[in-house]
Amino acid sequence: MRLERNMRSVCKLLAQRLAISLLVLAGVSVLVFAIARIIPGDPARIALGPNATAEQVQKLREQLHLDRPIWTQYGYFVRDLAEGDLGISLYTNRPVTTDIAQFLPATLELILVAGIFMIGFGLPLGIVSARYRGRAVDHIIRIVSLLGVSAPSFVWAVILMLLFAFFLPLFPIAGRISTDFEIDRATGFLLIDTLLVANYAAFGNALWHIVLPAFALALSGIGQAARLTRANMIETYGRPYIEMARSYGFPEWKIASRYAFRPSIIPSLTILGLDFAAMLGNAFLVEAIFAWPGLSRYGVTVILRKDLNAIVGTVLIISAAFLIANLIVDLLIAFLNPRIRYGQGSK
Amino acid sequence: MIAPTLDIRDLRLTFSGLGGSVDVLHGISLSINREERVALVGESGSGKSVTARSVLGLLQSLRGTRISGDILFEGTNLESMDESRRRQLRGTRMSMIFQDPVSSLNPVYRIGVQFREVLARSNPGIDAAEARDRAAEILSEVSIGEPGRVLESFPFQLSGGMNQRVMIAMALVNEPALLVADEPGTALDVTVQDQTLRLMHRLVQEHRTSVLFISHNLGIVREFTDRLYVIYRGRIVEEGPTGSVFRAPGHPYTRALLAAVPRITRDEIPEFEADPGKFGAPKVVHGPAGNSA
Repeated sequence: MRLERNMRSVCKLLAQRLAISLLVLAGVSVLVFAIARIIPGDPARIALGPNATAEQVQKLREQLHLDRPIWTQYGYFVRDLAEGDLGISLYTNRPVTTDIAQFLPATLELILVAGIFMIGFGLPLGIVSARYRGRAVDHIIRIVSLLGVSAPSFVWAVILMLLFAFFLPLFPIAGRISTDFEIDRATGFLLIDTLLVANYAAFGNALWHIVLPAFALALSGIGQAARLTRANMIETYGRPYIEMARSYGFPEWKIASRYAFRPSIIPSLTILGLDFAAMLGNAFLVEAIFAWPGLSRYGVTVILRKDLNAIVGTVLIISAAFLIANLIVDLLIAFLNPRIRYGQGSK
Repeated sequence: MIAPTLDIRDLRLTFSGLGGSVDVLHGISLSINREERVALVGESGSGKSVTARSVLGLLQSLRGTRISGDILFEGTNLESMDESRRRQLRGTRMSMIFQDPVSSLNPVYRIGVQFREVLARSNPGIDAAEARDRAAEILSEVSIGEPGRVLESFPFQLSGGMNQRVMIAMALVNEPALLVADEPGTALDVTVQDQTLRLMHRLVQEHRTSVLFISHNLGIVREFTDRLYVIYRGRIVEEGPTGSVFRAPGHPYTRALLAAVPRITRDEIPEFEADPGKFGAPKVVHGPAGNSA
């Protein structure tokens, strides 16, 4: 019975969030559709180059429905979208969906690994910092996390590359994997594809390539997570239930990792979710620096080329990723915080 | 002769911080025999809660705390014991009940989960079913009708009185020799507090637990304790069997404290025998010895 009630409230929460997400996506599509068409420059002219004749340009404009009013264009867009068609990219001359399928996994892989770094380093550093508040280790962690927050990820990308790929060649300088490896593309995620064919050498090589860019991308998130977790942990340490746990003689590591951590993690999670999504944007410069063939690089290129379909497609995908990340965080919080799961349950 | 359950000898405690140091306890001596229920009575800031926490060893690890004197538990000196051995005693041989039951239980774990971890303190290998049975058993001892439902609940789903009963049950489930109750139920309303204290009283009698009862409420102290110590500005100013102290308080502060209890049987406002100015606002920084005697 309890489980049932539990599931029902979680489902309700999920449905609510999904409905809101869809509304947001619709809004984003209108906005980006309009903006992409308002910015100056004729996409057909840019695509065909200065040597194309006026007829050729006019023909392409008709083909893209650019001669029609903007709401008619949006109508065409929605009709095609319903069939899973985002149109043809003028830059690559391929369907936008094909481009996205090619570039998105590389970026997602980078962001997921960065996210793992963010959680795997940020949270424990915050816990240790709070546990040894005021000691040397706390000061060191606070300085390091402040450094992480203070510089944008592309600065860290350059610094890390110089330090650990150039002066001290521990890691490769660029790319996703060494050219010696031929990996069949199944999911596009190299770390998964290599495991699927049980090529562990290639897996290690891909992992070796992803460490530096992912770390550069994660550093500010690590700093933020550590600082936030520390602050929340310190607040929780002042609560009566921590004193009660001490009075029951639970070991300090258990008090930190269990009794204080779980109530403290809830506010950190919301920020981590936002950081996670923000990495999609930050990934661009990191991808550029490490020659990482990802979606962010593609996105910027198509914006510069005024490749309408590709711009709209990329922005929609990034928005969807953002919303999914937030949805996951909301569910996690509901799982961790019984008050939310039981809808602010009263006494 | 059997050693007393708790024997505090000349306990002194100083907190020091950036602004200098503050003497909080100026040599407290107090003892509790087996199965005895002893009250430590005083106003806010007199040092009662600090004494309770020092017994459990909760203040010793704080930075800037200086403690001297001996705390003997069943004949063993806790102050000379190493920290991990002392920690082993907490939750198994001695436990504590806090003022506010609702905020003292962890908000993100179910009561049953918290109970199991407390049980695992004395029986690390206890399995879920066994822990559940044992918890349900002690919950019904504190008159909880549906122990199953309570064990499935989070603290915020239960009333303050329910949480209080849970906390009492949790404190006694490992059969400790000493229970420290720090103003239990002060955060609850009076009738609920009375109800739960009666339950606690019955339980400690049945389980033959010694109790150190910290309170400022003399009515409660009179009802539930055998002997009392009066603490004033970090010093014990009077001690004796509860009944005789109430009948014939020796120290002027005790008299003032007793006179402060409103009695509905009298029609006039009680008068202080001693100069009430002397017992005005409690001081955090206590004066030199002899000032308060």
